[in-house]
Formats: sequence, structure tokens, C-alpha cells
Amino acid sequence: MISRMYPTGQFLGCALCLMAGWCVSARAELQVSPARIVLDGPESTHQILVNDTADPRQPDATRTATYTVANGSVARIDATGLVEPVAEGSTGVLVTKGAQTARLVVEVRGLAKPRPVSFEQQIMPLLTKAGCNSGGCHGKAEGQNGFKLSIFGFDPVADHLALVGEGRGRRVLAGSPAESLVAQKATARIPHGGGRKMVENSLPHRRLLRWLAEGMRPGVGDFVPEVRIEVEPGRRVLALGGTQQLRVTAIDAAGNRHCVTAETEFESNAPTIAAVDPRGLVQAGSNPGEAAILVRHMGHVSVCRITLPRPGVAFARPPENNFIDHHVWDKLTLLGIPPSGLADESTFLRRAFLDTIGTLPTAAEARAFLADTRPDKRARAVDLLLQRPEYADYWAMRWSDLLRVDRDAITAQGSVAMSRWLRRQFLENTPYDQFARGIVAARGNTAGDTPAAFFKALDNPEALGRSVSQLFLGVRIECAQCHHHPSERWAQDDYFALAGFFTGVGRKQLSTGSVSIMAEPGKDLKNPRTGKLVPTRALGAEPVRFTDQDDRREALADWMIRPDNPHFAHTIANRLWAHYFGHGLVEPLDDLRATNPASNEPLLDALAAHLRYLKYDLKAFTRALLAARAYQLAAAIPENLADEQNFSHATPKALPAEVLLDAVCQVTGVPEKFMGMPEGARAMQVWDNRMPSYFLRLFGRPVRASVCECERGNEPSIAQALHLMNAPEITDKLRARLGQARRLADSALEPGKLIDELFLICLCRLPNPGERAAMQGLFREAGTDRRSAVEDALWALLNTREFVYNH
Amino acid sequence: MELSRSSRRPTGGRLLSRRLALQVGASGFLPGLTLPGLLHMQAHAATGGAPKAKSCIFLFLQGGPSTIDMWDLKPDAPAEIRGPYKSIRTSVPGTLVGEHCFRTAKIADKFTMLRNHSHNDNGHITGSHYVLTGVRAAFADGANTRVPVNDLYPSIGSVISRELGPRAGVPPYINMPHPLAAGGPGFYGAEHAPFVIESDPIQPDFEVKDLRPDERLGEPRTARRHKLLRSLESGPTPSGRAGTMATYYQKAHDLMTSPSARKAFDLRAEPEKTRLAYGPTSLGQCALLSRRLVEAGCRFVGVDHGSWDTHFSCFPSLEKDLIPHADMAFSALVTDLYERGLLDSTLVVMMGEMGRTPRINDKAGRDHWSQTQTVLFAGGGIQPGRVIGATDKTGSAPTADPVSVADILRTIFHLMGVDSSKTYLTPVGRPVPIVNGGKVIQGLL
Repeated sequence: MISRMYPTGQFLGCALCLMAGWCVSARAELQVSPARIVLDGPESTHQILVNDTADPRQPDATRTATYTVANGSVARIDATGLVEPVAEGSTGVLVTKGAQTARLVVEVRGLAKPRPVSFEQQIMPLLTKAGCNSGGCHGKAEGQNGFKLSIFGFDPVADHLALVGEGRGRRVLAGSPAESLVAQKATARIPHGGGRKMVENSLPHRRLLRWLAEGMRPGVGDFVPEVRIEVEPGRRVLALGGTQQLRVTAIDAAGNRHCVTAETEFESNAPTIAAVDPRGLVQAGSNPGEAAILVRHMGHVSVCRITLPRPGVAFARPPENNFIDHHVWDKLTLLGIPPSGLADESTFLRRAFLDTIGTLPTAAEARAFLADTRPDKRARAVDLLLQRPEYADYWAMRWSDLLRVDRDAITAQGSVAMSRWLRRQFLENTPYDQFARGIVAARGNTAGDTPAAFFKALDNPEALGRSVSQLFLGVRIECAQCHHHPSERWAQDDYFALAGFFTGVGRKQLSTGSVSIMAEPGKDLKNPRTGKLVPTRALGAEPVRFTDQDDRREALADWMIRPDNPHFAHTIANRLWAHYFGHGLVEPLDDLRATNPASNEPLLDALAAHLRYLKYDLKAFTRALLAARAYQLAAAIPENLADEQNFSHATPKALPAEVLLDAVCQVTGVPEKFMGMPEGARAMQVWDNRMPSYFLRLFGRPVRASVCECERGNEPSIAQALHLMNAPEITDKLRARLGQARRLADSALEPGKLIDELFLICLCRLPNPGERAAMQGLFREAGTDRRSAVEDALWALLNTREFVYNH
Repeated sequence: MELSRSSRRPTGGRLLSRRLALQVGASGFLPGLTLPGLLHMQAHAATGGAPKAKSCIFLFLQGGPSTIDMWDLKPDAPAEIRGPYKSIRTSVPGTLVGEHCFRTAKIADKFTMLRNHSHNDNGHITGSHYVLTGVRAAFADGANTRVPVNDLYPSIGSVISRELGPRAGVPPYINMPHPLAAGGPGFYGAEHAPFVIESDPIQPDFEVKDLRPDERLGEPRTARRHKLLRSLESGPTPSGRAGTMATYYQKAHDLMTSPSARKAFDLRAEPEKTRLAYGPTSLGQCALLSRRLVEAGCRFVGVDHGSWDTHFSCFPSLEKDLIPHADMAFSALVTDLYERGLLDSTLVVMMGEMGRTPRINDKAGRDHWSQTQTVLFAGGGIQPGRVIGATDKTGSAPTADPVSVADILRTIFHLMGVDSSKTYLTPVGRPVPIVNGGKVIQGLL
């Protein structure tokens, strides 16, 4: 293997050096890979990659080079650099770009006596790539027009039967393959609802015909099974508008490699940054950013990461407060995105309060912080916040959303019990690994001080398996309930193997109306498709042996919190990151997988490692997050406005419904009255998610029907704006006899001081000259009617974006 | 290939919303869907032109209307099925309806009855979820929580909101007089949630919730407040959700101040005669307000009309309240739209989540019967004056070709020019077509 470094500059970091078998031209600038190609069989193809290091803007020359085959009767090469066999033999190929040349050799064999086509290994990928077995076509549960395939081709045996056996065999004709219904439909020679899926005489078409002519062998087990795929390059920095051809290689259990580029599915997770076509050509767009090109062949997945830097940007690297900044600045430097400056003190304080304890700072707190001159006052403020009881209230609420604390599902007693248990965990700062074990292996009375009601909200092994997987492991395995996960390695067996941990959950109805959750002997579950028992095991782990005395869930918890578990620490690190930074390093934040990579992988790894180092002390971890300069950045500047995933600036966050309502109550000085709660209780302390409240409903309180954070709606709406502006409930708070506005109006404060106070109360800062002038105008206009002036000023502040959002 | 790409990722050129970004991020591998593109083209080829319906008024008779006593009587059945009502003639020769629907009978040439709708979810909440989203509920039928956010699947109005968007200064999707139980946006997000008029237009002091500034303040103070707010918000509009909120503040302000929107909501501007024609009822006044909103540009109005769950002694309430309310509202609405030249561009659908049992129970009521229900369609380019399908002699099942929930939804979308085979990704990356299965009801076109 020849490894090469690339010219320095912004293209440093190319990972083409991973590629094997480069053929280097005399001038060492035109590189062709591989140097030698073996095509074995009539429909085999191989993708050539050509790299021109003399062209830093567009090094990939696969489509601009010309290919001259010395002996055209052996092989041919199309303009995309794909080699096809013509006849057995060997030939040289000359690759030319401008004055540069390089050579390679092609050997063709296996044409005279080809290996018979295997349905499983060679036809299924074609059906998948053509979309035949997709959810919109024959892959959907009821099939399409009487012909049904397993979705994404997870069941080759059934698919072979569907194609060959069903419909009285009318779909296939071995005697005249081209007249087969399947061939005629695929090429749209007869009307096909899905249109033309294969071009006549193309490789897939020829292979399909050969398979038909050979008698439609199922071919299960004919080949050494494929174990993984590789994509080249695995990582690439492209110029805006640049292109890169990909090559995909399948590796079988015996270590044989063959090119499957032409049979692979490609998809970009960010087509506006970099799109990819079915031939594997990546096309960079005109905006800087990053994209992951997902590559799939026969249930195996791989990813090519594309980075588009902003050209010609130079900025001074800001100082690093801790390891987080190091990784964030690395990424921004690579991309050429300058970070915003440090947020001012008021912005920091308000942000830290709302993020950490879901509560606005009071005017007194704001004043004290602004007046503080100690250099470490930000860190001190965070320390104080983490000691406040509101920290526990707020995080208990957030986790109540995730743990399905829904009164309708677990009764009022269950909701109260769960809320209390959660609150205690955050008050005592229970290490997160113990916290998770406490939930996964909960036992006891659902009305007691336990999280046992989680097993009432989720009352069957499968629902528990997939919910725990999503919640604590960031693996959304529910797809695998019915079929192989379309972008992961998880299959149906993995799904039922995981659910097997929850088969021993006993539920005893108590006379008090609550339920006692206890451990009972469990059992392994059957895969409903194969009918076979699946030994209980965690994701990617070995099967576990149980005795009837074991609580199976303990074994799962042991595995989850092991230091080498690849999912557990990353998932909670990403979840907390998303909370404090506005969006996850991985989004959706509980969907971590190779094909959905983090926007900054070294950072996520470092965060997970730090969390393990801290022994899952969440408060200490939170301290690290808030200490980072990256957390303390100001709002976007024009140079980084377009950046949405690299944390170059602060992003406004919607306030959760409860937090906003509490904030409205706090600034108006009029608490809300909640049914069944003591006087003065705050919205985020309300355990009853079904308590009627127009405000909470309007601002997106979740129904707690799933373990997904995404359930909390934080999209703005017209009705929200109308409510804040006009609702009589809010007008009443503004006008209340014992409210803030009245208190200030009746005070002796002169208008200037009064305006300062209002700004501190609502926005945690003093007004700027323009704002002060506008406010003073109001007081002059109102004349002696100070009350209405104060009410109007408070109304206006309460309706600003700055108030409604955490920025 | 281009077609399939756009149908798979219908994000257009708009800014990605958070949810959409989630969906796209979660995408994983999606197979190329050329079929939707093809169906889309076929759909347009079939109609041979632009869709006629620009708006839809959906009168939802929640609880399950006794359509066997209204639109599909069984005069030859035994008394315990037939019930006490007689059939009467309509303006279409040969078409008969129940005697208490005499107003609607007079305009039978302006709408079409579909007598072969049938599904098999007999629950209220689950049935409503099925009818309004096209997806069977994954939860058990139970307490009605009135949370207008469907757990996952978007309702028909949210789909219309997303696909057609607003047409003028009024919100594209409106519910009244409260949210439809399953009328939420599901995974589409609050952007496509209904704007809910949390107030009943039959109330003498009817006001759209929060639309008007508190009148205790008076006009000068309201103006002063808004002027001050504008001066505080004079900075550049931020990006992301906060920016969206800014535009919603603008829209809310427009809604409060725009004369046309204000006019649309002002039911008092209607002549007394018109208000009476629609009926002095919640359903009637909602139907009238719906017409005003459609005139102002609303795309989809969902009217929730309850109390149709008549298990006990059903006939007194049917003939005194429920049927006359529906009869007046529907006939007045269709006539009014027709006279204003709006019927062609406005689709009116009246249905519930189910019908009622053919056999009268021992409490003199009828129970849940989702196997049969007659659905009324008017306007929006349908062929009026027809009766589609039939039920057997006891009204227990369609005689042939039952029309499914998916068929009805697909037809409504088709009439409104929405490509219902389009697919969106849920937060877990599962592709969900706007309607799964179903076909356009050919007899309507």
C-alpha cells in the first residue's frame, strides 16, 4: 500500500491516503487506483479512481481523465471510469489527463464458464438499489399490486419464493428470460406502476436474464458471505462546487474484495451541502458545511464524510477555557467559520439560569452579578445555580417527559411517585450510571418512592426494549421489530434479543390500586419471522445465561454502564450537550449510529470520556459544559450566521412551556394557581401532565406518550403571539393589585430608575439609549398615569423576542 | 430520478424547520420512490387540469351520526331497524332522504351522498384518529384528553396546511369551536397545528380567543403598546425559531389589525336572515363563520360538532336537535356558497367517525356502527346530485365496493390538488406517505 500526503493548505486532511494500490505516474501527480483490476464474471464491474494532485481545487479527475484500452476486445471503460468485461483476457489501460499519464492493467475471467447467479447475493442488491423492495413499492406491508417483497430485502427466502413461486410462477420464464414478467416490468416494456427500473442490456438487466436462464437459483449459501463494506475515500475535503467519485468495496468472510460501486445505494444526509447520485458521484453545493454520504450494500453500511470549508477565511483562534473549546475551535478552523465573541455578562447570566434551573434571574440577582468584579464570577454563578432546588425541579420535569410520567398511563399516585423520585435523584446528584440502573432495574410499589411506574407506562418486553434502547443507548431499534434496520447493522434478532431482558418483569396488583413491580423468571423470545428462539443479549454483545433467580434487567444494566459500552456515555453526553447548546452534536439527539455521525466526533468522544472520568457526576459535567467559551458565545455575526451545526455562535432556544409560564409569573409578580398544588407552586413543579392549561398546551407541553425528547413542541405559532399580547389572563397579571407593575408604579422610583428595573426584571440587563428613550417617551405621554405606563412597558418587554427566547 | 428525489424530500427551498431537519438527519437510506412521482403525474393527467377546490369545510359530527335516520333510510326493514322516520323525495328524482332532512332534500342536486363508506374501528377516539389521519390508532380507545396534538400522525387539515399553505392573511388551518380531538399536526409540528377559535360563535359575546386586545385598555393604549414593542424590536430579525416567532408576531399583528381578517371573524356583520338560515346553533354559526373564513383565504376549516353519540332514546334528540342542526347548517352553507359562486372552489364534507347500529337497542337508542356511514360531499369540483354506493337491506354493510377512510382522504386531497402519495419522514426516519393506500372515489368526479 502506498500512502501519500497531500499538499498542505486547506486540503490537508484528505483521507485518500487510505486508498490501496495507487499507480503513480511519472510526474507523481496523476494517481490511478487500482493498478490492477480483475473482473470475474459477466456482470462484474470495477470503479477506477483518478486523483490529480496538481489540481488542489478539484483533485478527483475520474470523470475528466480519458481512458484508452489497449485491447478493446477484452474490456471497456465508460466516461465515469467504470470498467466492464468484454471477453476473457488481459489488457493495459492508459489514463490521460492533459499532459499527464498513468497506466493500469485489467484482467477478465469467468466469462466462458461463469459462476451461476445467486439470488441472495447478486439479485437482491439490484432489487434494493432499484427501490423495488422500498416502503413505497413492493416492500410495503401489503405489497404492490399483488407482488410483495420483504422491505429493504431482509428476507431473501421469502423474496425468492415471491418472485419464483407465487402467482403460479407467472413472473419468471427460464426458457425465454427476456419475456419473463419480471424482466418486462423492470424494463417497462409492459406498463409498470413503478416505471422503468432497469435499462435494457445494462449490467443489472443482463444479470437478471442470466439468473432466469440458469433456472432462478436461490443461491442461499452459494457464496462466502459478505461481512463488511468499505467506501473510498472515507473522508474528503472538497472545494465549493467540487465533485468526488466514490468507490465501494465488499469484503467477504474469506477476505476477498470486489468492487460493488455500481450495485450500491448512496444517500447524502445533507443534499444541499453535498448531493450524491446513484453512481456514487458526490457533488458539492455552494454553501460551506459538512455532509455524510451513506453507503449501503446488502445490509452493510458505511459513511464517507464530506467537508466544504469556507474559502479564504482567516481568524484568530480564541482562547480555550477547556477541552471543549479545543475541539470546537478545531472544527471551526477546518471549516473556515469564525466564532462569535464572548457574550456579555447579562446574556450569560440569563442563559445559564434558564438552561440550568429553568428560572429567570431576579433583578436583584442580575444586579449582584453585574456588580461582581471577581474574574471567576461566571464559574461561581454556575456553582450556585447547581445547588439550587430549582435545578432538581427542572431536571425532574425534563426526565418526567422522557420517562413517560403520564397521569393517564400510570395514575396520579404513580406520577407523584415518579416526580418525587426524580427530584430526589437530581437533588442528591445521583451519578448517572446509578440513576439509569435505578430505572432499568426498578422494583417496588409504583406509588412508592421508586421509578417502578416506568414499568406500568411500558408494560411489555418489546416496548421496554426499544424505549430503553432509545433513551439510554441512543439506538432506535424499533425499525428492527419488522425488518433489518435500514441504516444500521441491527436485525430482527437483535430486537428480540434485547426485549428478552424485560420478560421477567412481574406486575402484582395491590389492594391500594397501585402495582408492585418485581423480578420473576424470564424467557427468551421468538423471532416471529423465523419462529426461532433468540437468546437474550444486549446490542452487539454476547448472549447472557440466566437462572430463574436472576433479575434479567440487572444484567442489561451491568452491560449498559460498563466503561467499554459504546453507546451509554455518548448518548447522555449528547443529550446534555443538546440541552445547553440548543441542538445535539448528533441530531436527532437519541439516534446515534455510524450512518448519522456527530457533527464533531472528536468532541463527542471527549465529552463521553470526560463523563466517565467524572464517574457520571452530572453536575460536574454541567460545570464543564458551561465553563467552555463555546457555551458563552454571543449571537451570530454575519460571517457565521449560516452555521447551524458547528456551534460558532449562540442559538436562541425556545423556552419550554412551563418555564415561560413561570417567567411570565415572575416578571408580573403574580403566581399561577394550579389545581391540586400548593399556593405559589411553579409550572415546572406540576406533576400532572394532563392538568388543563391553555397556556401550557399552546406552548407545547408534551403528552408524554414516548421516550422521545422530540415530543416537546417548541415551534412558534400565531396563537402563541396572540396569547401573549392579548390574553385577558396576562392582562390581569399585568394589572394585578399585588403585582409587579403596580408595586413599581406606586414606588418612589423616578422614571429612569424604574425603566432600569423593568429591563433587569425581564431581560436581565439595562436598556440601551434607544430603548431608554422610547420608554421615557411612554412615561411622558402617560403623564401622571404611571400605572398604565408601567403596565404598558412591562407588556412590551414581555412580548419581545428577547424575553420569549433564551438567547 | 429528479422526480423521485423531489417527492422524497419535499423540503423545497424553504428554510428547514427543526423537525424537518430532524427528519432529514434521521433519514438513513431511503429507496428511490418513483411510484409517487408517477402516481402524481397520473393523477394530474386524469383530471386534465388544475384542481378546483381551493378550500375545504369539514363538518365533523363527533360521536357518530345516525345516518340511517338521515340519508340512508331502510323503509322496508323491520321496525326495530327502520325506526320512526319516513323517507321524503328530494330535488333529484329517485333520491330519497329522511323526513327531518327536508331542507337538504331541496338542494339534493347540489351535493352527492356516499352511502358505502365503511371501516372497522368502533371507538370514538380511535375512530376519530383513523378518520382524520388515515392511520389506525396505536392506542386504546379511552378518555378524551382534547389534546390537539396527535401523538404522531398529522390530520387532514395539517396536511392541507403543509401542502397548500396560507392563501391570504388568515391561518391556513382553523378549528372551531374547539380543537378536533385528532385534528393535530403530529410529527409535522406546531407550524401546521390548527389555529383554534376557542370560542363558540353561537355565544352572544363570541370573540375569537385572544384576537382582540383587552377592551379594558382602550384603543390609544393598545396603539401605544404596539408602537413601543416595535421600537424595542427594531433590530435585525434573528434566524431560526426566534425569527419564525418574529414573523408570527407580525402575522398575529396582521390578524388583529387587518380589516379583512377582522371582517372574516366578525360574524355580527352577517345579516340576521343569513344567520337564522344557518340555524341558531353552534354547528350553524360555525358553518357560517367557516364560509367567511374561506372567503378570506383559509384552506381548511374543521368544525367539531358533538353529542351525536346517541345510545339512549335517540329519536327525540335526533329530530329535535341534532338532525335539524345538521340539516340547516349543511343546506344553508351549500346554498350560500353556491349563490356566492364559491361552491366550485370550496369542498364541503360532512361526516362523523362512524355511523350507528341498524338495530335499535333496548334503550331506544342506536350504538356504534363503523361498518356503514353516509358521507356528504358538496362543491370543490365533485359531480353533484348523485348517490354513490348502497348498503344492504338492513343498512349493516355496503352492498359492494366499500369506500375506505383512505379512499375518502385521497379523494379530498385529490380535489384540492395535493399529491397524496408524497412521503415525509417521521422523527425516527420512517417514510410516511400522506395517505397510505386508498384510491380516488371515481363516482364523485
